[in-house]
Amino acid sequence: MLEIQEITKRYNRKLALDEVSLSLRQGELFGLLGPNGAGKTTLIRIINQIVEADSGTIRFKGDLMQQKHVASIGYLPEERGLYKNMTVEAHANFLGALRGLSKRDCEKALNYWLDRFDIQNWRKKRIEELSKGMAQKVQFICTVLHEPDLLILDEPFSGFDPVNVELIKQELLEMKARGKTIMISSHNMRSVEEICDRVALIHQSKKVLEGRVSVLQEERKTGEYAVKFRGTMIAFVNALWTGFELVDKEVLGDDRFIAKVKMRGENSFEDLLKVLMGQVRIEAAWEVLPSMQDIFIQEVAPKTETEDEK
Amino acid sequence: MKNSWIIAMREMRERIGSRSFLLMAFLGPVVVLILIYLLFALGGNEQQKWHVLIVDPANVMEQKIMAKEDPNITYSFANNYIEIADFADKPEYQPYDAMVEVNEKILSNKSSFVFYREKPSFTMTVNVRYQVERRLEEVLAAEFTKLSVSEFRKIKQPLNMAFRNVYDPSNSSADIGAWVGLFFGTVIFVFIFLFGMTILRSVSREKSNRIVEVLLATVHPRALMLGKIIGIGLSALLQVAIWSLVIGGGLYIMRETIFIDAYDPVNVAAGQTSDYNQFVELVFERIQYGSMLFYFLLFFISGYLFYGAFFAALGAVTGSESDGQQFLFPLIALLLFAVYAGYFVMQHPDSSMATVYLYLPFTAPVVSMVKLSMGFEPGASYQLFVSLASILVSAFLVLGLAARLYKNGLLQFGHSVRLRTILTWLKMK
Repeated sequence: MLEIQEITKRYNRKLALDEVSLSLRQGELFGLLGPNGAGKTTLIRIINQIVEADSGTIRFKGDLMQQKHVASIGYLPEERGLYKNMTVEAHANFLGALRGLSKRDCEKALNYWLDRFDIQNWRKKRIEELSKGMAQKVQFICTVLHEPDLLILDEPFSGFDPVNVELIKQELLEMKARGKTIMISSHNMRSVEEICDRVALIHQSKKVLEGRVSVLQEERKTGEYAVKFRGTMIAFVNALWTGFELVDKEVLGDDRFIAKVKMRGENSFEDLLKVLMGQVRIEAAWEVLPSMQDIFIQEVAPKTETEDEK
Repeated sequence: MKNSWIIAMREMRERIGSRSFLLMAFLGPVVVLILIYLLFALGGNEQQKWHVLIVDPANVMEQKIMAKEDPNITYSFANNYIEIADFADKPEYQPYDAMVEVNEKILSNKSSFVFYREKPSFTMTVNVRYQVERRLEEVLAAEFTKLSVSEFRKIKQPLNMAFRNVYDPSNSSADIGAWVGLFFGTVIFVFIFLFGMTILRSVSREKSNRIVEVLLATVHPRALMLGKIIGIGLSALLQVAIWSLVIGGGLYIMRETIFIDAYDPVNVAAGQTSDYNQFVELVFERIQYGSMLFYFLLFFISGYLFYGAFFAALGAVTGSESDGQQFLFPLIALLLFAVYAGYFVMQHPDSSMATVYLYLPFTAPVVSMVKLSMGFEPGASYQLFVSLASILVSAFLVLGLAARLYKNGLLQFGHSVRLRTILTWLKMK
């Protein structure tokens, strides 16, 4: 769907992207992760033909990316705005026309989305009359109005209220189910890892990692298991004895805990459950997988002492 | 190009819907009409009324003056000598607006003083001199000749020496016509300034409300800039059209109602409304509105494109809406200089600087209008088209450079613009 090959970009000798290559497959939700200033927005602007790369190529559905392909992309920039004195309808018609929609198609699409978000009565309202959260919905609608094959959202959840975040996440999953390809960039890795199929990590203008979220987590798991139980911590530790090691614990209430445990020797998850049974009341138990944030820190920690991750 | 058009249409709709546009469309022409009215009215209609005391101790004039009385001037005579200080301060002289000194030598040295309290209008000085002189002619004719007064006057006619341009002997392009050109040229620049500022504000507002990146994702920066300039330009043309209609209609109504007496042959024959007629005749008879409006539009469009590119580029490089004032100043100075250049060319139409200003794209629109209204020498009207071509070619060059600044500066926010950054962005591809 989208092949990015060795893209390099400099701004006045400052390297913004250093031979970054990525590939997005049709119908996947791709996360472009990295701290602020890593080069995510530059890469997105290059894909959208807003900024020219110094070297490297981008292929869209097999063709070299050109201005004409931009109409098949829906782009919601991080710094997004609307004309304050235009109505929602006029705005949608204007942006729709720029993306090649006829007035009729535009009306149809707008109707669909206004119904979907149950905001038909906003149609004639001017943007300045809308609250911030309402404007965010309008921005999203304007981005997807032309049914783009590729949707690129730059920091989509920054500044969105939690209700809208959930709403947008559901819409994205829905669109993915319809075969659309979606790219989300974020510095806040927790917010996107749950919905992304695959991710790429960018750090200091370079790609450090790319892959399926589940695979990346599998590769980097530490063999820790978590047990959520009711009982006392003493009973729990006694039960572990020498076969297991308590790594971490979290107190949920007077007699409720989550404990993280590592195996010693040949012991397995089943063995752990066996020794605990009867000592504490197990409510849940699972294998601990590293979060994307953990993976990111693991990957870049050796290279940088501190990270300005927010 | 299609996208530019969509942008232009949106821009135009927003402009036309704005309150400032409506205000300008209706207040502007009304103000111009009022100014024109005042120009006509104060040009002679708003008459000073004078009570003149002729101090004539030698009784040269025998207390007589002009058979036909002037409604605006009344004369009284004094046969005693009056000191200036007395005339200035003594209460018995306060009713008089001016004192004309006529002494016994006046018939030989032909000189006299008039002491006034308030500076007389040009018409008043002409009339007082004319009326006193007429009476003296009668005295002179009787005293020194055997001729009748009318025969004497025939001989006495001063030599009327007319200075005419050898290439324009019929003097079809008198100075006053050039003012019309300067007026049209100034209007061009006022419009360029007003709508240029609109471009600047519109671009920097798009930057500050961050819609610009959404637009850039579908529109090339050059198309965005062109669309903006075209859209605001179209609203400017609409404004011009409204102005032309309202002013044209207003002038027509004025001619049919207020100034109808200017065409009254009695007034024309009386010869006392000459000032007043000069403007009225100029506005109603001499200006060739068809060709003036045609060239006005041509030079307005090309001049607007040229300067509009500067305003757009400036809007694109600013970091915030209030940024970039220091670069606005030279631009405004250029606009003012262009109007001055128009005035200069009016004064020195054949100087070599006039030719330079005519071809210099910064000054060409206003200078062309002045030259046009003064008339080109036969065979030299090609200069007008060279000038037009010069503006258009420069406009395209500047648009190209502005597009580059537009592209490189548009996504830079929050800085304060410096010459160095502008130069860097100009060099970037």
